[in-house]
Amino acid sequence: MAALDSDDEILQDFLVEAEEILEGLNEQLVELETKPQDSELLNSIFRGFHTIKGGAGFLSLDAMVGLCHKCEDLFNLLRQGDKVVDAEMMDTFLKVLDILNTMFDETKAGQFPTPADPEILNQLGVYLEDDAAAAEPEPTPEPEPVVAPPSAAANGEDITDDEFEALLDQLHGNGVPGVVEPETAEPTPAKPAKSDNDDISEEEFEALLDELQGKKPAAKPEVAAEPTPEAKIEPKVEATPPAKKPAEAKPEPAAKPAAAAKPAETTVRVDTSRLDDIMNMVGELVLVRNRISTLEAAFEDEEMAKAVNNLAVVTGDLQTAVMKTRMQPIKKVFGRFPRVVRDLARSLKKDINLELRGEDTDLDKNLVEALADPLVHLVRNAVDHGVEMPDVREAAGKDRQGQVILGAAQEGDHILLTISDDGAGMDADVLRSKAVEKGMMDEESASRLTDSEAYALIFAPGFSMKAEISDISGRGVGMDVVKTSISKLNGVIDIKSEVGVGTTLSIKVPLTLAIMPTLMVMLGDQIFAFPLVSVNEIFHLDLDKTNIVDGQQTIMVRNKTLPLFYLRKWLASTFNDNGEPRIEHVVIVNVGTQRVGFVVDQLIGQEEVVIKPLGALLQGTKGLAGATITGDGRISLILDFPELMATYAHRGY
Amino acid sequence: MSVRVLIVDDSGFFRRRLSTIISSDPQITVVGTANNGQEAIEQVKLLKPDVITMDIEMPVMDGITATRKIMAQSPTPILMLSTWTTEGAKSTLDALDAGAVDYMPKRFEDISSDQTIAHQQLCQRLHSLAKNSKAPQPHLESIRIVKPPVQIPSPRVTSHSMPKPLSIVVIGTSTGGPVALQKVLTQLPANFPYPILLVQHMPATFTPSFAERLNTQCNIKIKHAENGDKLSPGTAYLAPGGMQMLLKGHARQAFIEIQASRESQTYKPCIDITFDSVAKIHPKETLAIILTGMGSDGKKSCQKLHELGSTIWAQDEKSSTIYGMPMAIAKAGFADGIFDLNDIARHLVELK
Repeated sequence: MAALDSDDEILQDFLVEAEEILEGLNEQLVELETKPQDSELLNSIFRGFHTIKGGAGFLSLDAMVGLCHKCEDLFNLLRQGDKVVDAEMMDTFLKVLDILNTMFDETKAGQFPTPADPEILNQLGVYLEDDAAAAEPEPTPEPEPVVAPPSAAANGEDITDDEFEALLDQLHGNGVPGVVEPETAEPTPAKPAKSDNDDISEEEFEALLDELQGKKPAAKPEVAAEPTPEAKIEPKVEATPPAKKPAEAKPEPAAKPAAAAKPAETTVRVDTSRLDDIMNMVGELVLVRNRISTLEAAFEDEEMAKAVNNLAVVTGDLQTAVMKTRMQPIKKVFGRFPRVVRDLARSLKKDINLELRGEDTDLDKNLVEALADPLVHLVRNAVDHGVEMPDVREAAGKDRQGQVILGAAQEGDHILLTISDDGAGMDADVLRSKAVEKGMMDEESASRLTDSEAYALIFAPGFSMKAEISDISGRGVGMDVVKTSISKLNGVIDIKSEVGVGTTLSIKVPLTLAIMPTLMVMLGDQIFAFPLVSVNEIFHLDLDKTNIVDGQQTIMVRNKTLPLFYLRKWLASTFNDNGEPRIEHVVIVNVGTQRVGFVVDQLIGQEEVVIKPLGALLQGTKGLAGATITGDGRISLILDFPELMATYAHRGY
Repeated sequence: MSVRVLIVDDSGFFRRRLSTIISSDPQITVVGTANNGQEAIEQVKLLKPDVITMDIEMPVMDGITATRKIMAQSPTPILMLSTWTTEGAKSTLDALDAGAVDYMPKRFEDISSDQTIAHQQLCQRLHSLAKNSKAPQPHLESIRIVKPPVQIPSPRVTSHSMPKPLSIVVIGTSTGGPVALQKVLTQLPANFPYPILLVQHMPATFTPSFAERLNTQCNIKIKHAENGDKLSPGTAYLAPGGMQMLLKGHARQAFIEIQASRESQTYKPCIDITFDSVAKIHPKETLAIILTGMGSDGKKSCQKLHELGSTIWAQDEKSSTIYGMPMAIAKAGFADGIFDLNDIARHLVELK
C-alpha cells in the first residue's frame, strides 16, 4: 500500500485544518436539517468541502478530492437555491461525512485514503444530474472537471526575452530576500489507543496519571474497538496580545492593527508534549515556591518576605498563563453531540432538540479529551431514558419535541457541566424498590436513601431502569463507567430530577489536572492531601455524638446521616487505638454522588500541589492518586477517594 | 526591490503553503496574509502590497466583492487563485470583471505535473504582474460613465493603418484579455460586417462560460467555436481552450477546424496557429489585432500576415494590462496601428 509520510509537516498542517473543518461540518450538517434554507449555513458548508478539497488536492489525496468535489458541486446548487435539501439527501451527506472521517483517519495513519464506495458517489451524481437535466438546456451530462493537460502551460504565458533579462537582473540584484519562516509543527509520534473494554483499567489510569506529567503517551479513556494508531492533535496556541481576551474563539475580522503591523501569522503550533513539559516545570516551580514560602516564615525578614511574596505572585501568573495555553474550548467535545442526538433520536423515533450552551468555555486539553466519553454516555442516556416518545409527551401535555440541554460554564477554578432534559424525570421510590429488587440493599436502607442518593443509584454497577435492554443504553454498564471516569478527574456528580418535569445532571470538574488545590491533613506523623474539589466541609466533632447504623459508624450533619470513617485506621502505619481523643477533626468529602465523613488527626491547610506519579514500589496502591512534595519539603500522598472507598469501606471499619 | 505580496485565503493550510512557495523566490516577500475579503481590504490599505493573490470562496466577504472594493479604493494587481472547473470559470470571470488582472489554478497540478515548475510559474507570474501591470482598469461600467467616448482620433491613427479590402478580423490576447475583449466586442453593432476569430489563452473549462458570457453582453453573436462552423459576418468565434482552432476551406467559404493540441504546444489555444491558418485563406484581407498579454504568442504569424499585406493592430502600452504581446509586435515594427483599447473598438466600428 502506498504510504504517506505522516511526519511530513505539510501533511500535519493539512490534518489539523481538516479536522477542524470536519468537526465543524458535523455540526453544520445537523443544523442544516433544521434550517435547510439558511444561505449562510449552506455557504459555510460549501466552503468546508471546498477547503478540504483544496488541501487534499495539494497533497494528491485523490479519493478525498473526488468526494469533496461532488459535495461541493451539490452544495453550490443548494446555496444557489437550485435545489433543496431533503431528508434522504441529508442521510447521504452524513454518510459522506463518515466516509471523509474514515479517509481522514487513514491519512492520519499515513495511508492514502481508500476511494469512496462508488455507490455514494453515484448517489451524489444522481442529485447533481437531476439538476443538470432540469436547469441546463445543453445536453452536457455533468460538469465533469476537465483535467487540464499536464503540459507546462495550459494557460501559461512566456515572458519575452527582455522580461527574462529583467528578471535575471532582479535575481542578481541586491534586494534583501524576505523570507517568511514557515511555522514548524512538530509531528507527534502516533500512539495506539489501547483500551478494549468499556472500563478504565488500572494501566489506563496510571497512564492517565503519567499523561498529567506529560511523560508518556496515555491511552485515552475513549473506547476504541480496534487498536487504531492515532496521532495526537496539536492545539492551536493563540499568541494573543495581552489586551485581548485569552479565550477568544473567533478572531474578530474588524480592526486588527496589531496583527497588521506584524503581517506574519499570529499563531504558532506547538506540540502538546512541549506544553506538558512546560506545565511540569511550572509545577516544579510551584513546589519550590511553596518550599521557599515555608522557609521564609522562619526568617521573619521583611525584605525576604517581600521577595518571596513577589515570587509567589509571579509564579501564580506564570501558572495561569501556561494553563491557558493548554486550554481548549469544550466545543471540541460538544461539537459531536448534535450528530449523536440526531442519529439516536431518529433511530428511537423521538423528536429531540439539542441545545448547546457555553461551548466556548475553556478547559484543559487533557480534560476535554477525558470528558468526551462520559458525556456521550450521559447524553445518550438523556435521549434514550429521559425524553419520552412524542405521543407520550403530547398525552402529558408537553411539546412533542423534547429538549436536551448540554451546558458548560466556568465557576472559579471549576468547570460545571450540565446535561438536562425535559423528559419524564426519575421517581426516587421506583429506584429504591428497584435497588431492593436487585438485592443491592434491604428495604430499610433503601427507604433511608435521600432522593438524590436514590437517583445516584443509576450509577451503580448493573443497575438498569429499562425493562428491555436497547442497544443504545440501559445495560447498566455505561453509567457506572461514567461515575468512575468523572471521579478519576476529581469530579463530582449531582443529580436533580422531578417526575414529569425532567432530570438535570451536573458534573463539576477542576479546570486542570496538572496542578491541584488540596487540603493537607496529618494522620499520625504522615501528611496526606485531599483534593480540595472533593472537600465539602470541615468541623470538630465530639465522638460521643456518633451512632452506629447497620454496623457503620455515622454522624448527623444538619439532619443528614453520613458514614464516618477513621482514615488513620486505613492509612497510618503507626496506628494506635488507645487514648483516642474525644474531639476529632472531621472532613466531609464528596465521593461521586455520596458524602462521607473522614476523621483525621490534624489539619494543616490548603496547598496547591503538583501530582507526581507514584514510584515503582507504590505503583498500583489502591486509594492513592499520586504523591507530591509539600512546602516543608516532605512527601505527601494524594488520596483518591473513590478508590479508597471501594477498597476499604466495605471492610466494616 | 523585491515584490511585496499579500496572500488572501480562508484556509490557513493554503496560506502557509502559498507563503512557503512564494517566499522560496528571494525576490518576493510575503508582506501579509488575510483570512477573508474584509481583512484583505484592510491589509491592502495598511501594507500597500505590489500584488495580491486572492481566493474566491471565503467567509465574511468573498474574493470577488473584495476585488471590486480594492480596485475602487486602492487599485492593486490581483491574481485570482481559482478552481478550474466550470463553476470556477464563472466566478473567475466575475472576478476579472471586478478588476482582477489574472488568474491561476489553485491546484498547482493544473499548471504542471512538476511541482517545481508550477511553483516557479506562480512566482514568475507574480513578478510580471507586479512589474508590468499598472493599476488595471476597474469595472467596465464605471469606465463608461467616467470616460465619455473620445471624439478626436488619436494622433497615431493614419490612413494607412486602416485596412484595405477586408474579409476577416482575428484577435489574439492573453493576460487581461477577458476584460479587454469584453470592452471591444460590446461596442460592436449587431450588423458588424465581418466574421471575427478570437484566440484567448484560457483553460478548457473556462472558454465555454466565457463565450456564453460575452454572447449575453454583446450585440454581435459570440460562439464557442466548433468543428465545421462556417463563418458568418457579425459573429465572433472563440477558440476552445485546450485545443487549436484553424481556418480551413477557401476565401469564399471558410470553415473552422478544431484540432487536438499536441504536448509540445505551449499555448492551447495558440494565436500563431490560428493566425497562420488564416494567413493561408486570407493572406491580404485580414485584420489581426493583438491585445494585452504576457509573452509573445502571435508575433511570428503577425510577421507573416504583415509581409503578405494584411493589417496588424496592437494595443498600446497605456491601456494594456500586460504590455508583452502587443510590445513584441510593436517593437518588431509589424504594427500598422498602435491604439488605446477604446480606439480599437471605435476604429472597428468605423470599418466599412
